[in-house]
Amino acid sequence: MKNEKMMFPLMAVVGLFVIVASCAQMKTIPGLPASHPEALAVGQQVNCAECHEDQQKGTMKAFNAFSHTRAFVKTHRFYAASDDRLCSTCHKSSFCNDCHTNKTEIKPSSRYGDRPDREFQHRGNFMTMHKIEGKLDPASCYRCHGRANNGRCVACHR
Amino acid sequence: MKKTCCTLLCAASIFASPCVTLAADVTIDSTTMLGIAKRDISGSSKETIIPATQFLGLTADKMADGNLSLHLYGWGRSDLADNSYNNDKNAGSLTYGYLQYRFNHANANVRTGRFFVREGVVNEQIDGVSARTDLPMGFGLSVFGGATVHTAHLSGETSDGKGDTLYGGRANFRYNGLLEIGLSGVYESAAPILKTLHAAGDYRRVGGDIWVTPIKTIDIVGHSSYNPETQQFAEHSYLFNLKATQKLVLTGEFNRHFEQSYLFPRTTFSATLLNPNDKSSSAGGSTSYEISKNVEISGDYKHYTREFGSADRFGGETRVNYKDNSVRGGIGYHYLNAGQGFAITPYTSASYHELRCFAMHDSKSYFAAVDLLGNFFKEKIYNQSSAWEATTTIGYHFTPALALSGDLTYGRNPQFTEEAKALLRLTYNMTYPGTGGKK
Repeated sequence: MKNEKMMFPLMAVVGLFVIVASCAQMKTIPGLPASHPEALAVGQQVNCAECHEDQQKGTMKAFNAFSHTRAFVKTHRFYAASDDRLCSTCHKSSFCNDCHTNKTEIKPSSRYGDRPDREFQHRGNFMTMHKIEGKLDPASCYRCHGRANNGRCVACHR
Repeated sequence: MKKTCCTLLCAASIFASPCVTLAADVTIDSTTMLGIAKRDISGSSKETIIPATQFLGLTADKMADGNLSLHLYGWGRSDLADNSYNNDKNAGSLTYGYLQYRFNHANANVRTGRFFVREGVVNEQIDGVSARTDLPMGFGLSVFGGATVHTAHLSGETSDGKGDTLYGGRANFRYNGLLEIGLSGVYESAAPILKTLHAAGDYRRVGGDIWVTPIKTIDIVGHSSYNPETQQFAEHSYLFNLKATQKLVLTGEFNRHFEQSYLFPRTTFSATLLNPNDKSSSAGGSTSYEISKNVEISGDYKHYTREFGSADRFGGETRVNYKDNSVRGGIGYHYLNAGQGFAITPYTSASYHELRCFAMHDSKSYFAAVDLLGNFFKEKIYNQSSAWEATTTIGYHFTPALALSGDLTYGRNPQFTEEAKALLRLTYNMTYPGTGGKK
């Protein structure tokens, strides 16, 4: 048990050592720009392939995979889990935190009532609907409310 | 450990503050909201709530040598009438506040402060430090560590289900843009042990993720995680994505969660909600087709399985846009077919139809939106056959950054019988030249 507890700090130390050792070679590894060089329209489903069709470089994934189709918007969690650095070239962290915030009291759909085109959860009367939806897919709560989403639940459910 | 960490972070923030004035690009995003709502709760009294809420974000880029940046975002709320939530008249939260140094190569960065970590199977909010970089030969590494962020103070409880310190990381390997595999893990000390709330233990989760693109049009991406505390898998989640053409996308998705392992701390409190030994699965698919630049249709189906039954949801949606995207609209229909296991007690059916339509117009001067949503139950809930809500919004752009808007919402539903809300919203969103516009 004690050995297991030591694994993470050990891994962290080894990781940092590798980072330092690799610094000498960092300049040969390409990086993404800090922000997207062209302004992109708000509310438009961006098709990355319009400009980046054949621009897959090195170990980077093809930009086409990140085109914001309807399917991408609904399954973006799969892409963001390993490529949020690419997301951040166009989106501030607060864009993610509109929904994935752990603590907020205003539903995103109410805060952005002027943007009904955005894909938000809990539209309408979710006080009623959560009694059904919560049983249907309880794990989906965790993605936005965090793994210890007790504040909301415990208020009624003890 | 935690107190030390917090003290160091606060000190870092204070010392960093003067740097903001040296920044070349400072942007502020502010949303001030004043809401008024009247609720007629079934079998109870009427309530009037008037919450004043402020969301505020600040980003200072290009500080120091140009690679240092400061990111702050949070909110605060004060109730001017009845309490809007629990017993607190005032509430607030710092969602994130961190300094980031971004290296020019290898996608490397270092962060310190409060921020979210999303790496593979890890999804955490910490007060601490993180570092990550791409490494030679396609490898990559990220590490993080710090104090757990506690966002809930539970009345009568000494713990919110989270522990003290939290650390972990992810190592990954990429090959030619065709394959990525990653190993990630998180460890939290002094976390409540399952079923023994007030005893301290460990929270651990480890997992692997994969991304395969055998051909340009296909992505297979997903992850699995394992909870050493419960000694069982926590999650399997995988997506198959086929871009048959630029206009036609087909997806297939499979998810399986083991509640006890996945929602580990939550089960300590919510035993009335969840059977710790329960498992949930969902599998389904979707398709979307862009008929033209202005019209896109989509359809989806998902099958849910729990210990106490199964359910199906299917439906479709059409979205349109005109005049350079300044006019947008959509209409959608979904049906949930779910039996007694998913129903609200004491009813026997959880099935309902959902119909939604919206339209919006955004010009350089004014903007407006209408949003209608209706849920029509197969079996009446609290003697109501439906829950519906209509929202209208109208607003005016004083400048490209500054806008004032107002919402009016009216609805009837089983929970509140009747609900009317009004909301006034003042937004100020700065952008500056040379970046990707409003984000």
